Amino acid sequence: MRLDSSRPLLIRLFILAVLVLVPPVAIVSYWAMGEFERGMIPEMDKKAAVVGRDVTAQVERAVDLGIPLDGLVGVDEFFAPILQANPEIRYLAITGPGGRVLFARGIAKETLAGHLMRAAPAGDDGKAAIGPYLDLALPVGSRAGIGGQVHVGFDQGYIGTRLGDIFYDIVVVLAASLIVAFEILMFVVFFNITGPMKLAAAVVDRARRGDFTHVPGGVSGDEVGHFIRTLSTTIRRADEQFRSLMAYIDEVRTAHFDKTVVERAGEIAERVRFLYRFSETGRPLVIRDQLATDIRLPLFLFVFAEEMGRSFMPLYAREFGTSFAGLSAEMLMALPIVMFMVGITVASTWAGAAIARLGTRRVFLTGLIPAAGGYFLTAFAESVGQLICLRILSGLGYALVTVACQTYIARATVEEKRAQGLGVYVGAVLTASICGTAMGGVLAERVGFDATFVISSLLAAISGWLVHRLLDAGQDGGADRNDGDGDGKSLLRLFANWRFSALLLFAAVPAKMALTGFLFFLVPLILWKAGLTLPEIGRTAVLYPVVMAVLSAVSSRLSDRMGWRSGLVAAGGLIGGLGLLTPLLPLGLDAPTGVALAIVALGISHGLSASPQLALVPDVCWIECQSFGRTKVLALVRTVERFGSIIGPILAAAFIPAWGLDGAVVVLGSVVLALSVIFMLCSFAFGSGLHIVAEEDEE
Amino acid sequence: MSWSLARKVSAALVALLLCTGLLTAVFGYYKFEDVLSSLVRSRYSFVVFTIKKNVEDRLNLGFALRQLRQIQEAIELEKVRDDQVLGIEIYDSRGEVLFNTDRGGIGTSVPAKWLEPLEATTTQPFSLLDEDAQLVGLPLVNTLGKVEGAVVLRFPAAFLERELGQLLGRLALELLAALAGFSVIAAVASYALLGSVGRRLGGMERTLDKVLADGGFAEPDPRDEGGFETRFAEFVLKTREAVDHISESTDEVERLDRLA
Repeated sequence: MRLDSSRPLLIRLFILAVLVLVPPVAIVSYWAMGEFERGMIPEMDKKAAVVGRDVTAQVERAVDLGIPLDGLVGVDEFFAPILQANPEIRYLAITGPGGRVLFARGIAKETLAGHLMRAAPAGDDGKAAIGPYLDLALPVGSRAGIGGQVHVGFDQGYIGTRLGDIFYDIVVVLAASLIVAFEILMFVVFFNITGPMKLAAAVVDRARRGDFTHVPGGVSGDEVGHFIRTLSTTIRRADEQFRSLMAYIDEVRTAHFDKTVVERAGEIAERVRFLYRFSETGRPLVIRDQLATDIRLPLFLFVFAEEMGRSFMPLYAREFGTSFAGLSAEMLMALPIVMFMVGITVASTWAGAAIARLGTRRVFLTGLIPAAGGYFLTAFAESVGQLICLRILSGLGYALVTVACQTYIARATVEEKRAQGLGVYVGAVLTASICGTAMGGVLAERVGFDATFVISSLLAAISGWLVHRLLDAGQDGGADRNDGDGDGKSLLRLFANWRFSALLLFAAVPAKMALTGFLFFLVPLILWKAGLTLPEIGRTAVLYPVVMAVLSAVSSRLSDRMGWRSGLVAAGGLIGGLGLLTPLLPLGLDAPTGVALAIVALGISHGLSASPQLALVPDVCWIECQSFGRTKVLALVRTVERFGSIIGPILAAAFIPAWGLDGAVVVLGSVVLALSVIFMLCSFAFGSGLHIVAEEDEE
Repeated sequence: MSWSLARKVSAALVALLLCTGLLTAVFGYYKFEDVLSSLVRSRYSFVVFTIKKNVEDRLNLGFALRQLRQIQEAIELEKVRDDQVLGIEIYDSRGEVLFNTDRGGIGTSVPAKWLEPLEATTTQPFSLLDEDAQLVGLPLVNTLGKVEGAVVLRFPAAFLERELGQLLGRLALELLAALAGFSVIAAVASYALLGSVGRRLGGMERTLDKVLADGGFAEPDPRDEGGFETRFAEFVLKTREAVDHISESTDEVERLDRLA
């Protein structure tokens, strides 16, 4: 295992985390499920007895009136509402003296007769397992000497099915825990071992060539910190000896009257300086390094906090009523999402300037105040107006925090490793999205929407605490390396480049429209209407980041290796648009399955196109990227695509009154598909390789 | 307090293990409680439903609600059948209790919140929480669709803890034992895994001290060709060489200085 490489250590630690976290939870859950099942059986028996007793009493009354058991009328109509009101009861039946099935509802007479024939005799309590059912038989007509029976049948797997939700919740918590464990361990390894050891390696590399000008910075109380201190002390001692020698030589050269001695001392000084380098500033310089991974854990926690509300935001907005400022109920549910995006768009435009002035650390902490405050106060919102204002506030903070993280990562990464830096950002956002969306649903069902927002604010506060504690206050600030020049107005000249405009309007904007309009807004509404619980909605919505996380890594490699960027963007757009047309397909799918398919298609779409889309920007406007700076051009791309995020929910909400929820999905999908087709046609004219001829030169 | 790498990692793992264990236990318990409560409520709803049917059949024959004396026996019979039932009450639309398994309660008024479900047009079962009891009820409706009153059944709110207290206690102990056991494993494994890092760093430190004090060489692990330890060995050598050279140079300058 190499000491200055994180990969082997991380792999071992993650395996350890899996071995430590999964078995105890799995073992205890397995025991608990068995105990829970056994704990519920007596209650099921009581329920069966109550139902059976009532049915028996009714039948007895008829028999007492002289009606023969096989001559009862309207038994089916009598059984129907009981079965409907008690879904755990699978069937009700009456059998005659010889065990002949006279009436049955919920099961075919022949099937029940077959099961009864094969079944072992019932116990004293009248209970017997017959086929897949638990059958409770109660005697009827015994006073008249008839000897019939009323049968109440339960599905043997009913308890297991009901307890299945517990299993899914446990899986969600366990998966989220493993992801959090991975993030924390990665942070511990990078922050405490790999980062300091890389600094130590840099200093060692210099010193083994005779350069003692630097010492590694950062001190911790662990073994690595101790080693770094020993290393620094050794170099400082050598430095002190060197300085003592030089001071002595200076003294000799100044004070000695014998010229040969002075010359000889000067030669000694020159020889030492020739062989070894020591700092010119009077002491060794301390090297501190900024690692992209330093910000990953705070970013992960912050995005986790925001994503917690993702699976239920429209449902939460609906709780505040359906009328406000003359807007439709659907528009009111969409507005919190829309205004959050507006907040992000507004703050994004000046976040870069704020970072250049204040530095990433301070902007992160400043942005955290409206973001975490917004989450906290959302828990106490009393009207949709308040909710909208708070979502704007959170959006402003979200933009500041995420742009600060992007800038921190960009500054911590050398140009050649910019893709790796982007991977740190995308990785943190996607894993947080997976955890947040899934856990948000589980938490909201258990503790309620309001408490979930309070938990979000706590997570955001923890991320701020980490940044406050771990990032060096005096380390960053100033403009980006490749900021270029050009103001916002001149930046708009970029739109004269038709390739750039086509990429934005027909690829980036529709992608965001589908994301916010469908996934953020329509999915919770459709699934809730289909009767899914909040955890189930969360588990369905989480398919998007899962698919995207898997595919984006593949598509980045494909796009870099094959250079087929515009093709991947076009293919992604088409898949996303077609996926939203799922309700039109005559597959007979139920709503949740259809929605899940559409979400997977959207995940594939964005997984294929997100990275190539960003990589395509310098291809289609290479000269502009050089003159304005790539950061500014990419910031413009982000700002414009956020208009898609704003338009998406508005369009979807406007479509619902006319076409219903499924119709809204289809129409939104048609819009996305149409725009994607236009991009595909445009992309044929894009050509391959770098686009090095600016549009104005062509004119 | 200084924390070793192993202590940091094991603390992180143990904290995660405890959080995961407790979260899954809390979610699992509440989900179980939900499922079991809904089953219990549906049983009592069925009991209430049968009483409601019984009452409404008689109302449909033209009797007034307060005239249905046989209902008192019927509700007492239902209470006797199930020792979990705290009481069954039938009250009219003004809130006066007409029949009650606790006969002393007949004639009293029900709390105002018991009347709220009667204002709704729905005839679905309603649930209420009353101090330490849960209630399930159903409105009583005559043939003209007018709500005449309601029947409610009370059962203990803490029935789950009472019925399953032992089971839950045993599960909690098992969970704690598993968490404690795996916490120890996490700590030991962290020390085993990161101990080698500490030992290698400690070894390098000792070599550095020894070579600088007594001379000699740092011998890197032959398997670490080009790795950190090989480069560190070169660093040690170079540092020793530099220190020796500076020391010799100092001696030489001293000698020259004394020559005067």
